[in-house]
Amino acid sequence: MLQYFNPKQQDFDKDYGTPASVSENLITLEIDGVSITVPEGTSVMRAAALADINIPKLCASDNLEAFGSCRICAVEIEGRRGTPASCTTPAEAGMKVTTQNPRLGKLRRNIMELYISDHPLDCLTCPANGNCELQDVAGEVGLREVRYGFSGDNHLQAEKDHSNPYFSFDPSKCIVCSRCVRACGEVQGTFALTIDGRGFDSKVSPGQNQPFLDSECVSCGACVQACPTSTLMEKSVIEAGQPEHSVVTTCAYCGVGCQFKAEMKGSEVIRMVPYKGGQANHGHSCVKGRFAFGYATHEDRITKPMIRDSIDQPWREVSWDEALSFAATKLRGIQEKYGRESIGGITSSRCTNEETYLVQKLIRAAFGNNNTDTCARVCHSPTGYGLKTTLGESAGTQTFDSVMQADAVMVIGANPTDAHPVFGSLLKKRLRQGAKLIVADPRRIDLVKSPHVQTQHHLTLRPGSNVAFINAMAHVIMSEGLEDKAFIAERCDTEAFNAWRNFISEERHSPENTESITGIPAAELRSAARIYANAKNGAIYYGLGVTEHSQGSSMVMGIANLALATGNIGREGVGVNPLRGQNNVQGSCDMGSFPHELPGYQHVADDAVRARFESAWGVTLDNEPGLRIPNMFDAALDGTYKGMYCQGEDIAQSDPNTNHVQAALRSLECLVVQDIFLNETAKYAHVFLPGSSFLEKDGTFTNAERRINRVRKVMPPLAGLQDWEVTQALSNALGYPMNYNHPSEIMDEIAQLTPTFTHVSYERLEKLGSIQWPCNEMAPDGTPTMHEESFPIGKGHFAITEYVATEERSTRKYPLLLTTGRILSQYNVGAQTRRTDNQIWHDDDVLELHPQDAEDRGINNGDWVGIASRAGETVMRAKISERMQPGVVYTTFHHPHSGANVVTTDNSDWATNCPEYKVTAVQAVKVTEPSDWQQRYRDFNQQQLGHLNKARLNEPRSEESAIAGK
Amino acid sequence: MANHQLTSLIRMANQIAANNTHIGDENAEAEMVANHLSKFWARSMKAQISEYLNQGGDELTPIARKAIGLMSSAG
Repeated sequence: MLQYFNPKQQDFDKDYGTPASVSENLITLEIDGVSITVPEGTSVMRAAALADINIPKLCASDNLEAFGSCRICAVEIEGRRGTPASCTTPAEAGMKVTTQNPRLGKLRRNIMELYISDHPLDCLTCPANGNCELQDVAGEVGLREVRYGFSGDNHLQAEKDHSNPYFSFDPSKCIVCSRCVRACGEVQGTFALTIDGRGFDSKVSPGQNQPFLDSECVSCGACVQACPTSTLMEKSVIEAGQPEHSVVTTCAYCGVGCQFKAEMKGSEVIRMVPYKGGQANHGHSCVKGRFAFGYATHEDRITKPMIRDSIDQPWREVSWDEALSFAATKLRGIQEKYGRESIGGITSSRCTNEETYLVQKLIRAAFGNNNTDTCARVCHSPTGYGLKTTLGESAGTQTFDSVMQADAVMVIGANPTDAHPVFGSLLKKRLRQGAKLIVADPRRIDLVKSPHVQTQHHLTLRPGSNVAFINAMAHVIMSEGLEDKAFIAERCDTEAFNAWRNFISEERHSPENTESITGIPAAELRSAARIYANAKNGAIYYGLGVTEHSQGSSMVMGIANLALATGNIGREGVGVNPLRGQNNVQGSCDMGSFPHELPGYQHVADDAVRARFESAWGVTLDNEPGLRIPNMFDAALDGTYKGMYCQGEDIAQSDPNTNHVQAALRSLECLVVQDIFLNETAKYAHVFLPGSSFLEKDGTFTNAERRINRVRKVMPPLAGLQDWEVTQALSNALGYPMNYNHPSEIMDEIAQLTPTFTHVSYERLEKLGSIQWPCNEMAPDGTPTMHEESFPIGKGHFAITEYVATEERSTRKYPLLLTTGRILSQYNVGAQTRRTDNQIWHDDDVLELHPQDAEDRGINNGDWVGIASRAGETVMRAKISERMQPGVVYTTFHHPHSGANVVTTDNSDWATNCPEYKVTAVQAVKVTEPSDWQQRYRDFNQQQLGHLNKARLNEPRSEESAIAGK
Repeated sequence: MANHQLTSLIRMANQIAANNTHIGDENAEAEMVANHLSKFWARSMKAQISEYLNQGGDELTPIARKAIGLMSSAG
């Protein structure tokens, strides 16, 4: 007897027709004489597919609910009349099903005949040729003739829509199976598509019969993936033809960590198809991951190492050997002149764990100091601090799938449908099932109201008032007796709880008393607190709107306090969930990028910890923390920090107070930048080491749910080396030997030194697909949900979170508050997405402001607006938007020339120095020309591009030499 | 020339102190701040702020002063 109920045994390349049932009740039925046991609720179609009996189908797909429209999947069931559709018929115990006989064969042929009578017969020249379900099913049912002829009314001349940059819509090929419409609704949750008309007139309609680009479509591509014909087809496939092999790898955009099948022709990626076996995304993706991969082979890629003595000089292309020895000599020279602590480095949250680990190892072991930091400093460092203090581990507590068990979801300072779109879709799915939603955000983000989603409360708090808000939430819970007393007594530290209870119960924290600070009506806040506290499962998701504040760490602790007080920790459906910005923010933190912590968050002052690393690395390690990024800039301006190795981060664009950062970078005697493009930081560099994109290397990324996913090389590195090989070569040039042959050897070293990674290896990753750390003796297959029985610090720790107003507040001179963020189509500094067709959606950063603020200043939509703060001034176009509350303006930082960070200040989180990007007091006025900074930027940029062009013109391009130390 | 680092350090120390002034026990508060500094600040930063305190430390708040004193004597 066949038993199929373990979802892990699935073949992820096979379409089982309908979704898996999660029922624990098993039933046994017989299909074509084969006995099979499946979970109750499984369709006959899926049960058959599990036994490798493959019933022909057109409108069914296992990521969509059964629809029963095409009738190709009709079967016979003993004792029942007619021929029911196997997709919509649940399997029942004792059922006897026949899937093939002459009657069913004839029925299916007749149906196919009707379909094909209104379908172009250009199969040989059709882009779907080789991957067309309609063609396959025609073959399966043995269609040999079309008796109706082809001259009747048909759709063969239907007009094509090429408006979307990534896919084409050819309605003449459409069989109206509704898979695209259902994917848009059920999977993506956008509901941009519908079937317009009835009967013969039925057609797929984006929006209200608009071109795709003008509709609400977010270009996630779920419809393209769902289409069984070539009606919706990637333009890359139309151009290149069907791929011939594929490799499963992990997306290099946001912290969701979607897995994809990179579908290839030789070493060229033809398309990225989200992988059904990806445990974070289950076969879904967004516009960035699926379509915006063209940057990897963009002409701006720099593939030759370059050096120069000063940033006023043109670049010279040189061999790897020469570049590395130039860098090593300069860095060592600086240390001899200014001391051991005068250099440092920055690891990348976009590179792999193995690469990040090597960079911090190089800094600690070869530089001999702890001046290592990472871009997580400027996004989620308060998460590390706050969660470690309260829960004992610097990481989120759940899987993404956990949200499907949540009854109330609170989203604070996060915009998942733009910044973490695949999680956003999952969350919307749960909301459509009835979970309640509270959004705390100064802006009206899409989640507040979108098709079939309506938040219970949108708490429009004032930027900078987070801690007052979270304290008020806790105050309501404690004063109304909504806390989980049993959980607190059993799982939390009593002394800390008592101190916190006394603090939080003070009347000054009540919603009524904090209303004037937060701007949230007290009654609404009370209602929101009750929804969260009374839910069976309450889950909190938060983003940079929590961390990027002067009290970012306090706010993270305040969130953890709330979860502890309500017992919303330690099971599915609950938890504290930071939504990480970049693909490997979690990993770069785990890998010891912070100046005070060795890999696994082990403090450098701990002698026993250091001894283990010293013995493995064969060096003496500094027992004092090193400089953080902002401290590095300050030290650089004071002349005590002179050299830096920066891998895969664009601090000149992403860090706040650009004028300050630029001055600091200018003062360096040697800046080594390793990147795939000549980014803004590289314009201040003396050594450029060409990096490799995620398609060009092996390694692992760790997503926001602590999931370690494999990254697999699908094409050779354009510059000849993977990033880890470059770091290794630099280390060897500096005289500290590294001799890894493969990233798996680096992971073995990480596992040996990091208690939460003990059982992680490439071999186990191959076997399990992915692993959520901690993965060690206690949890050999990893830990999907944290803190189920106890906390790493024993008891949960309530932290006292006093609200301290930020120094950055609106004044007469700067009456508005600027908050910055992201949009769906662009990613971070835009280095990748700006070099793709995603530009069509957002080719410039704009300043969003409320109609009232615009009117007060005589600003119209599209006007040039000067935005000035105490740090600097820039100019952008205005976009008047009711998403904003009066007094609050918003922009993104995806384009370097827009200078969003010229305006942001050096204010930062008290505990971690995470910049306060979310609150800057500004004034906005109508202007007629770019700011001084922008004019200087334009000149400097042109000069630097000229220096680059000189390198490319002057040097012979074929010179290549063996790499040092390899 | 303005000392960028020191200006930042003074501000940071005062900010850390401001965010830890809730227990009502000045010694305990200073100890928390001192622990924070010793755990997260680089050697050069600790040295500079201690030096500044030795020279008077005028712009430091009382808790910050006490904390830096504690940290220096422990270190």
